[in-house]
Amino acid sequence: MARYILRRIGWTVVLLALVSAVTFVIFYALPSADPAVLRAGRQASPELVAQIRARLGLDDPLVVQYWTYMKDVVLHFDFGFSYQSGESVRAAIVSRLPATISMTVGALVIWLATALPIGVISAIRRRSLLDRVTMTGALLAISAPVYWLALVALYLFASDIGVIPIFDGANTYVGITQDPVQWFASLLLPWLVLAAGFSAFYARLLRANLVEVMGEDYIRTARAKGLPERRVVWRHGVRAAITPIVTVLGLDIGVLLGGSILTESVFNIPGVGRYAYDAIRTADLPAIQGTVLFAAFFIVVANLVVDIAYAFLDPRVRYG
Amino acid sequence: MNDLRLRRARRPLPSRPLLLGCVATVALVLGACGGSSSDKKVAAGGFASGLPTDGQKRGGTLKLLGSEGFFHLDPGGSYFQLDYMVTYATQRPLYYFKPDDPKTAVPDLADGPPQVSADNKTVTVKIKSGIRYGTNKKTAITGKEVTAADVKYAFERGLNPSVANGYEGVYFPLVGADKAKGGPISGITTPDAHTIVFKLTKPFGATTARALVMPLTVPVPKSYVAPLDAKQPNPYDAQPERQAFTGPYMISDYKAGKTITLVRNPQWDPKTDFKPAYLDRIEWTIDADPNVAGRQIFSGTGLANADTPTAGAVKRFATRAKDRITFTPLGNRFVGVNTQRKPFSDINVRKAFAAALDRRAMLLARGGPLVGQLATHFLPPTIPGYDEAGGAKGTGADYLANPSGDPAVAAKYMKLAGFPSGKANGEKVVMLGENDSPAKETAQITRDAIASLGFDVSFRLLDQSTLYSKFCGVRTELEKIDVCGFAGWLPDFSDPYAMLTANFYGKSITAVNNSNASLFDDPAVNAAMDKAALIADAGDRAKAWGAIDRRLVDKVAAVPFLFDNVANIASKNVQGVVGQWIASWDLAYTSLK
Repeated sequence: MARYILRRIGWTVVLLALVSAVTFVIFYALPSADPAVLRAGRQASPELVAQIRARLGLDDPLVVQYWTYMKDVVLHFDFGFSYQSGESVRAAIVSRLPATISMTVGALVIWLATALPIGVISAIRRRSLLDRVTMTGALLAISAPVYWLALVALYLFASDIGVIPIFDGANTYVGITQDPVQWFASLLLPWLVLAAGFSAFYARLLRANLVEVMGEDYIRTARAKGLPERRVVWRHGVRAAITPIVTVLGLDIGVLLGGSILTESVFNIPGVGRYAYDAIRTADLPAIQGTVLFAAFFIVVANLVVDIAYAFLDPRVRYG
Repeated sequence: MNDLRLRRARRPLPSRPLLLGCVATVALVLGACGGSSSDKKVAAGGFASGLPTDGQKRGGTLKLLGSEGFFHLDPGGSYFQLDYMVTYATQRPLYYFKPDDPKTAVPDLADGPPQVSADNKTVTVKIKSGIRYGTNKKTAITGKEVTAADVKYAFERGLNPSVANGYEGVYFPLVGADKAKGGPISGITTPDAHTIVFKLTKPFGATTARALVMPLTVPVPKSYVAPLDAKQPNPYDAQPERQAFTGPYMISDYKAGKTITLVRNPQWDPKTDFKPAYLDRIEWTIDADPNVAGRQIFSGTGLANADTPTAGAVKRFATRAKDRITFTPLGNRFVGVNTQRKPFSDINVRKAFAAALDRRAMLLARGGPLVGQLATHFLPPTIPGYDEAGGAKGTGADYLANPSGDPAVAAKYMKLAGFPSGKANGEKVVMLGENDSPAKETAQITRDAIASLGFDVSFRLLDQSTLYSKFCGVRTELEKIDVCGFAGWLPDFSDPYAMLTANFYGKSITAVNNSNASLFDDPAVNAAMDKAALIADAGDRAKAWGAIDRRLVDKVAAVPFLFDNVANIASKNVQGVVGQWIASWDLAYTSLK
């Protein structure tokens, strides 16, 4: 088991190095803005642009720039500073992580708390009114773009601009350490919006899996043994049907910890996603690189955790 | 995201000419400024005027909602509209434009108008006494009086790559600046603590004096800031709350990309300043979603926009809250064509293109008459020389006579260009445009106009930053492109020099960071610009630049299509006052109701 985990961690490091290299290459290979020109402003002389370029190290060969960057990341956990604001990228991301983690965890709790019962009940009571209503609702929630859903939610329910003002709206986020009550109130609507699509997807996925599992022979055997239906469903049905969901869940958590750009943007929650969006818009390579690495880190770590969990659950994975 | 917000965040800004020392006194300058009265509240069309009025309320907190962040809050690097809003509220440049009078810069840190020598090569400025630095944490310079040496250091550090001022070399051709990299500049001397003298390499004083409104002139105490200037990134920029402030407000807190908070500067003495500084506190939220922000400002209290509102917000305010939206003219927009490459190197093809272009459709694509007026030349209404260039009527050129386009006139010029049928024969034209609305739509209209002349248009859309920094701004790339969709300019200060030279002066064609999108290099126009830059008298200067503007239209250096109007919106209890010269809220004049 230890060898398996070490091997997975090794691959994680390789993957992160590859992601950083690919980001570097994409930034330079595809048309993108010149950071020195953006830094210098419209009237700046070519000499000034050249000075800035030299100062930012942009004249160095790409390999040298990449090596310098990775050396700082590995040895000092230093992601450089933003070309745009001069702020340390590490400090910027770390200062924004609590907001992103808050968003992710809150939404996760809501979507699991809604998706699991809906998925199970819909599967068990197939073609019932409840099944039809929840699955139609799920279809709508999946189809609704999160940006649109966030705007509609604000226009309907935000305390400042909503028709039924019951939730705190945009620009109200505060950190949990600053004011826990306000933190909770400000995130309630974003959590619901972010959770809506995920909840719908997970409910449909669980329903489909559970419908299939409930038709398996061992379920029939369990029933034939006289086990109570609740036990059949939860111990034998859901336990088997939920395995693919754990895989997807790991990926989704990783992606969300890398930043939920649209939800953060609409509600103006200063998270990593919004930082990434601004970095891309302003061709701020250190910030782009930092956020991509962080996002990749969360995704591969989440995958790693899922894989290790699988290895514990299924010994075949360890020796596969 | 609309391109206007990006444009505003990336372009130099307008101002107005200073009255020169040799022809004006402080009394005259101040006397030129309009008084305030309540009848100024409403502008044409029933919209708010954005002008200051009598009896504005003192105190309270204004909350600004913006989607864009700042580029540089160090006054040495501040060069963009949002940066200016903060810089001019927290610092005092040598000269300042009162919000209601964008035509006359008044002494702010300066104690009287600039004195320009007879040979136009020396500019002398006296500085007020009793202006002191305020800081958030007590330091050695807290409460220390500003001296001329601090302004001198501001110019010196502007050439330090850690500050990298973008315009110092353009408007301040200082003796010795070419060798300076942040150290002393021999062309700046301070004969006493309250006098600074700028010696120029050429007779450029008339223009330099007008540029003394720029943030570069904000004093910077060397003893305090020089150690910061040695660092990378420069903390005076990255941590602006550490600055030494001279204005009515101080930056008390800044979180890049999130918020900035301004509070009163305890060292600011209103007796030395004309700014009323009504508000106690200004809280600025960055990264707000513009759609949501527009609604919050509409429904809420104590709120105003920081950057350009969305078209939806403008429409909502213009129809339902006219008294809370202002429109301020600013800058121009035009289509640049490559004047050094076939087919547009032929002036008749350029005239045909101008005739074919549906400029009215371009205006509608950008939002209609609220967002601006059709342009027939390049100097906008707020810039001296506009009337001399033909005003709203234009120069009378037949290829600009019909704003909806005139195929017959276009065919006439195509025939003159050697296309007997009045159409080209499918010759290839390479065009790049911006991929954000509404620039995308105007680019498509431009493409259609070129195609209607019989050309085969190769058309590609890119994001604005890439388009400018990798293609339109790079000469070797631009030489291979016929139409680069980079079109429009906001002048650094309200002077025709600042408006026209960046786009149409031959020497503005540079290897990188090129701003001459047409690669227009006409020796006669260059000479006329050189000559007009030396003119000190405001009337003569306007005449000379108006004539240059006409000549640019005659030569079809580009095709003008719009003079912009910038919208600003506020909540019902906010009396927003717009600095007309930058078309943004003047935070030192805005108040709550």
